[in-house]
Amino acid sequence: MVTGYGKIGGTLRVWVPVGFFLIVTLLPFYWMAIASLKPNSELYNPHISSLIVYHPTLKHYADLLSQTNFLTWTWNTMVVAVISTAISLVLGVMLAYPLARMRFAGSSLMAMTVAAVYLVPQPLLFLPLADIINHLNLGNTLTAVILTYPTMLVPFCAWLLLGYFKTVPKDLEEAARIDGASRLQTMRRIFLPLCTPGFISAGIFAFTLSQNEFLYALIFLTNTSVRTVPVGVIAELIRGDVFYWGQLMAGALLGSIPVAIIYSFFVEHYVSGLTSGSVKG
Amino acid sequence: MTIRSEAIAIGRKPAPRTFSLSAWLDRESVFSWAMMALPLAFLAALVGYPFCYGILLSLENRPVAQPGTFVGLQNFITDIHDPIFWQVTANTFIYTTAATLLKMVGGIGLALAMNQAFRLKNVVRALLLLPFIVPTVLSTVAWMWMLDPAFSVVNRILVEFGMPKPGPSWLGNPTLAMCSIIVINTWRGLPFYGITLLAGLQTVPPELYEAATIDGASSWQRFRFVTLPLLKPIILIVTLFSVIFTFADFQLVYVLTHGGPQNATNLFATYAFDIGMSAGQLGLGASVALAMLPALGLLIVGLTLYMRRT
Amino acid sequence: MGGSNSRRDFLKIAVAGAAGAAILPRAGMAADKSITLLHESSFIPAFDAYMKDTIPAQYEKATGVKVVYETTSVGSLPTRVSTIAETGSGADVTMDILLTPFLFDEKFADLSDIADEVGKKQGGWYDVAKEAAVVNGKWKALPFSNIGQLMNWRTDWFAEIGLKKFPDTWDELYEAGKKLKAKGHPFGFELGHGFGDNHGWLYPLLWSYGGHEVEADGKTVSIDSAETAAAVDFCRKFFQDTMLEDCLGWTDVSNNKAWLSEQISCTNNAESILYIAKRQFEDIGKVTDQAMNPQGPKGRFHLMNSISHSVFNSSPQKEEARAFLKWLMTTDALGDWYNSADSYYQPLLHGYDNAPMWNVEPRNIPFRDALSTAHLPGWPAPASPKLAQSVAKYVVVDMFAKAAGGAKTPDVIKAAAAQLKDIYSV
Repeated sequence: MVTGYGKIGGTLRVWVPVGFFLIVTLLPFYWMAIASLKPNSELYNPHISSLIVYHPTLKHYADLLSQTNFLTWTWNTMVVAVISTAISLVLGVMLAYPLARMRFAGSSLMAMTVAAVYLVPQPLLFLPLADIINHLNLGNTLTAVILTYPTMLVPFCAWLLLGYFKTVPKDLEEAARIDGASRLQTMRRIFLPLCTPGFISAGIFAFTLSQNEFLYALIFLTNTSVRTVPVGVIAELIRGDVFYWGQLMAGALLGSIPVAIIYSFFVEHYVSGLTSGSVKG
Repeated sequence: MTIRSEAIAIGRKPAPRTFSLSAWLDRESVFSWAMMALPLAFLAALVGYPFCYGILLSLENRPVAQPGTFVGLQNFITDIHDPIFWQVTANTFIYTTAATLLKMVGGIGLALAMNQAFRLKNVVRALLLLPFIVPTVLSTVAWMWMLDPAFSVVNRILVEFGMPKPGPSWLGNPTLAMCSIIVINTWRGLPFYGITLLAGLQTVPPELYEAATIDGASSWQRFRFVTLPLLKPIILIVTLFSVIFTFADFQLVYVLTHGGPQNATNLFATYAFDIGMSAGQLGLGASVALAMLPALGLLIVGLTLYMRRT
Repeated sequence: MGGSNSRRDFLKIAVAGAAGAAILPRAGMAADKSITLLHESSFIPAFDAYMKDTIPAQYEKATGVKVVYETTSVGSLPTRVSTIAETGSGADVTMDILLTPFLFDEKFADLSDIADEVGKKQGGWYDVAKEAAVVNGKWKALPFSNIGQLMNWRTDWFAEIGLKKFPDTWDELYEAGKKLKAKGHPFGFELGHGFGDNHGWLYPLLWSYGGHEVEADGKTVSIDSAETAAAVDFCRKFFQDTMLEDCLGWTDVSNNKAWLSEQISCTNNAESILYIAKRQFEDIGKVTDQAMNPQGPKGRFHLMNSISHSVFNSSPQKEEARAFLKWLMTTDALGDWYNSADSYYQPLLHGYDNAPMWNVEPRNIPFRDALSTAHLPGWPAPASPKLAQSVAKYVVVDMFAKAAGGAKTPDVIKAAAAQLKDIYSV
């Protein structure tokens, strides 16, 4: 779509707006990276530029890895995010498939119910949920968050998959039904394999939300050995009124690496899954 | 990977034993309800039940570690008389509206900018998603430092241009503090908005643009009459998303200002947390959190109606 | 909650199926003859290490009972205590911060007999210890220490305006602040929504002018007074003429950061500024000193930020837990435990008034002297869940902060009085 412009004009047309968004997006990251490499004497010096490192050091990274449970938190975060994403996708499919493909009494009411659940904001539930978790004696276990994250993820996954499922043509399923396959078999063997992009976009979004979640993790996980990255880093690197800024920034960057890698693999599918799911749905 | 685990989970269902049972299970309605039973039970247990429990709590005087006593609507009456409650309501509306509008405009801009062919597009797209990936609490800690007048680049420039030192106080001035949290929320949410809209843009058939160009439409007209109408459903959906998440936002404020200065940035979620957890008034806290629902409903209905009409 | 059993069972099954045994709750952690002590992880690592290793070893040698030290992260202790109190399972002994004994009073065991004995053996309790631990006439906690707040001041910059000693009154401090701000060294006192550094100086300021939020009966709101107005007026000019504007939005980390980046010349804080400065910013550490709060027309005051220990009524080994606390508070090892923390924790027993811990850092001695003028936020009323609500809503802090931001004194006091009446009249 750059036809009709000169080469320089075309380049400008691309890079002026793209560059603007890149700067806005990345400036804080640049700052984080710089801060994580600065010795304290530079970090706390307001008289030198905050955007340049004069004597870079890896001390904050070393301290983060040796003095805190950062690796444990990363592991916990991955466990929690993977399992709650998986649970949410499975439950999401079980909701979305009938709603997208079947005709039955009450289906539109159910679709609305799912949408309504999705609207219930998280902070509304945290007090009663804390009580439930207490009574189940699940406080301080990863199970507490693995169980509660899907409350916000299932309606989302169901909604997104519902849209995606509607876009898949029905011919193959009908053929399988004529061949005598049961509905369950049709769904498992014929239908679901067609929906990979939908799963990837729902899954990646659910994964992001669960690895970033803060409120439930803050309330349910108080022991350092079961914390996730956001809560662990905040709780251990903020000691009373002292922030370990360099380590916090190192933690922010290291903590986002696993997800960034996952994104770079899946971003193409993420986009295509979202597209057909939401535009036509 | 996710698909496989799902297939395994479903594969555990016992195979039908008798012919008639399997036929019965194959009926559309039976199959549907059987399929939906587990997720619905899950949602009933962990959303429906706490939701009702929350309603019950909101009708009780329930200090932590003590039995509750039913007090009817007393907690809500307390809320109505509480000036902070109304300030929190106003804050949440301003925060949600402003951040969502900024994300919408910025997101469309981002999508349009990215919807051009250029080298390194995939790299740029991945970079643009970074704010969405970093745990919000941690990026907020970074913002906390960047907003310190003594270290802020903006302050340095302003002071350079003659503003008295140390320049604007981004978190100390109530109005600027609200602007600051709106900007940070926008920074975090914009990439998701933009990349999702980009996905929508890419489905617009090129023929439509070609036809419009042949008809002599300017690029603004092409955007206004071809792109925008086609994008509307997806804009509506991401906007709903954004509204829900922004309205219920907790972590940004909890870390950055804890509702200060003078409650200028206190939101429903942080206020409910303070009352319910810090002060141990579970009943009153639940009533604040519950008050969020009609407000959010109002916002969503209004938004949907508006988007439908235009 | 009738009928919730089936739901629980369902959930447990669902959990077991989905998550596997590795992440299920570890049931039965506290075996026989072992006591679990819950603490918030300390700002001073050596203190935690001492409690984790040395104390349990000594106690096991003396009595054969094991002590498990469970730490929870800073800020999450209230949540953890709520959980134990609501479910009746978890640690046997918990650390309390500030108002915990008053929120959970019904769930805590009476420790009055132990308190008497410890007091007798260790030279007697400070008066403020009773204020922080006695609920309705019974000791529901054994005070361990105060984490006090003091004035931090830059000796080099104060010397530049001719001050070798920290000003004795708020008015003198104000005059010093005006001069220092003019020289580019403003003050920085938190007026935002942090958890401690705001209350740390604002309640003492209010008291030193003779104001208080509620009468000693704990019911009659008394904030609307000429004394409060004088304190508010002072706070406004103090903020506007000596401080950075940013203080209005500060949380507790902010003044530490501002101090270590040499932006401010005076603030109110716990020992953390001096502690970190001495170790990581030596040049700043050398010119950092601490002093008691200035006095106002009605005297000198400090804020009590007490740390204590309580025994849960629900503990299956309540007697063992009580015995452990009694031992802990009377043993010689206690002094070493205090020593390990560089007087960050200030004992509330007169027996420690001249303990070796005070020789480590003479700049910390004002912490000890401040104990006799320290009170909990709601003073002169006894602490209560209502006070917890007033603190959580930042009523007094915001009264001062609004005035500092320019609002009229009668308006901010009226607003605070209305809020306090809603809280205390229920």
